[in-house]
Amino acid sequence: MGRFGFVAKRLLQTIPMLFGIVLVVFMVLQVTPGDPARQVAGLRASEAELEEVREKLGLNDSVVVQYGRYVKNVLQGDLGYSYKSRKPVAEIIAPRIVITSWLLVGGVLLTLVISIPLGVLAALRKDRPTDHIIRGLGLVGLSMPSFWTGVILLLLVALRFDFFPPGGFGESTYDHFRSIILPSLTLAIASAPFIIRGLRAEMISVMESDYISTARSLGVSGGRLVRRFVLRNAAGPGITLVALEIGYLLFGAVVIETTFALPGVGQGIVLAARARDLPTVQGYTLLFALVVMAVYLLADIIMAILDPRVEIEA
Amino acid sequence: MTDPTALPLDLSAADSQGPLDDRKFWQRLPVKVWVGLAIVLIYVLIAVFAPLLAPHDPLAIDPANKLASPTGDHLLGTDELGRDVLSRLLYAARVDLPIGFLGALMPMVLGTILGALAGFYGRWTDTLVMRTADVVQAFPAYILVIVLVFALGQGAKSILVAFTVLAWVVYARIIRGEVLRIRDLDYVHAARVAGLGRLRILRAHVLPNAINQTLIYLPSDIVFATLALAAFSFLGLGIPPPTPEWGAMIAEGQPFIRTNWWLATIPGLIIVVFGLGVSLIGEGFEERLHG
Repeated sequence: MGRFGFVAKRLLQTIPMLFGIVLVVFMVLQVTPGDPARQVAGLRASEAELEEVREKLGLNDSVVVQYGRYVKNVLQGDLGYSYKSRKPVAEIIAPRIVITSWLLVGGVLLTLVISIPLGVLAALRKDRPTDHIIRGLGLVGLSMPSFWTGVILLLLVALRFDFFPPGGFGESTYDHFRSIILPSLTLAIASAPFIIRGLRAEMISVMESDYISTARSLGVSGGRLVRRFVLRNAAGPGITLVALEIGYLLFGAVVIETTFALPGVGQGIVLAARARDLPTVQGYTLLFALVVMAVYLLADIIMAILDPRVEIEA
Repeated sequence: MTDPTALPLDLSAADSQGPLDDRKFWQRLPVKVWVGLAIVLIYVLIAVFAPLLAPHDPLAIDPANKLASPTGDHLLGTDELGRDVLSRLLYAARVDLPIGFLGALMPMVLGTILGALAGFYGRWTDTLVMRTADVVQAFPAYILVIVLVFALGQGAKSILVAFTVLAWVVYARIIRGEVLRIRDLDYVHAARVAGLGRLRILRAHVLPNAINQTLIYLPSDIVFATLALAAFSFLGLGIPPPTPEWGAMIAEGQPFIRTNWWLATIPGLIIVVFGLGVSLIGEGFEERLHG
């Protein structure tokens, strides 16, 4: 089986997982206490009105029928209607995706800008003061709640420089750009320690390998050795590392969007959860699960293309 | 280890390679472990003696004296309801610390039990446990915590249940691997020949030796559990008001950062120092183990 066979197999594997994810999302929220009909109809609705709402929402059908209908609707892009605003859930979520994408892209870029130099430096200066300082900073970073980091950045940066708005996403592209810098930096501060630690470990293990000794003995040294031989071989695991972070990054987005009042999907799920708006929470959960699955899949495919050894392990 | 039968076998464990079994382990521990232990001890003492240390009732509202700057009476000022911030910070340790520790311990206990059963009994037990682990791991964990807390309702109990349901997997894998390794060692065979029952062998002889491997993961999980609790409370999905909790205090203080900046910053600083203390212990142990 070639490496494209691996990609095909990996793609096929995602189909049962998709159904599993929809099932778990459906089941968890099925056992949620509270009467959805009561939520839709309001506190003063009579029993007859409640019954009418139940009938309309299909809540009287068996769980299996409801699940079947849910899967069918999801496949058609219909995520149901919000209990609160009565709008289609898909319409509520869609505009928020753009904003979270800005945050995630900005966050990943800044993470790489921070962690590649620091990770490489720590590996090259292993067990020396520079390494200790970088690892110490990493420990501090790991202990910082990202919403608190956000508040500190608001206090120290946004309140001092008008360039950075204290919250919101603004109207123009220029506004978006200004609004996303501090949230992205917050996200990067939260995720960089993991990447630095992983990159450092990966670099050290590559540098101790035979082919690096060989390259050294052939007179390759300094920046050329690091760039052409060490970093290139450490890059693959690096991609996997960033991909595995996606769940953590998404949770970071949930917290950071709330801190900076960014109307993205992270803030959206929190608002929906606080309002106990079940179909909307369901929609967001599904979206998050799909994103995570897609990113894992993408990382595996990129790895398979970059590294011919992947198919052997598959 | 209250079980007396575990004692002689702990000595036999010294022959196995587990570095934690080494009695010299506690000697020459890196300084950072002691620093970390000192920090954590201070926090534990604060949590235990909060009622004695706190100058005021953490829940007492004083509308006439809200958002006060630090004074002799209120060393860290008051919040938007006029409650004493210092007292709330001290009392919050009684919420954050137990949940941080339990949020890491409960998954460890569940994972250890399930991993041990899977490793020791094999066959369908093994399949059931490990396939469940695969499914749990396929999901974005933090998002599932939101869903679980949504489903179970706000509060400490829901958060602990959510952590336990999601975080046991790592421990189960480690313990299963260890049990598979240990169950074929001579002293376990000896115990079996001596006529001990399977559960007893597992509990008294296999587990005490396998468990050391999981202890390394405990510190970073405590940090995670504490941060996650604070995050959920910050989002309004964790500990409900008026109970003092560090993350919730940051949320309560954020609207006032222009005037009363300490309201939102100090609780965070307290979380960072605690997390750092716990991480230092973990780092130190890891260094000691892996050289």
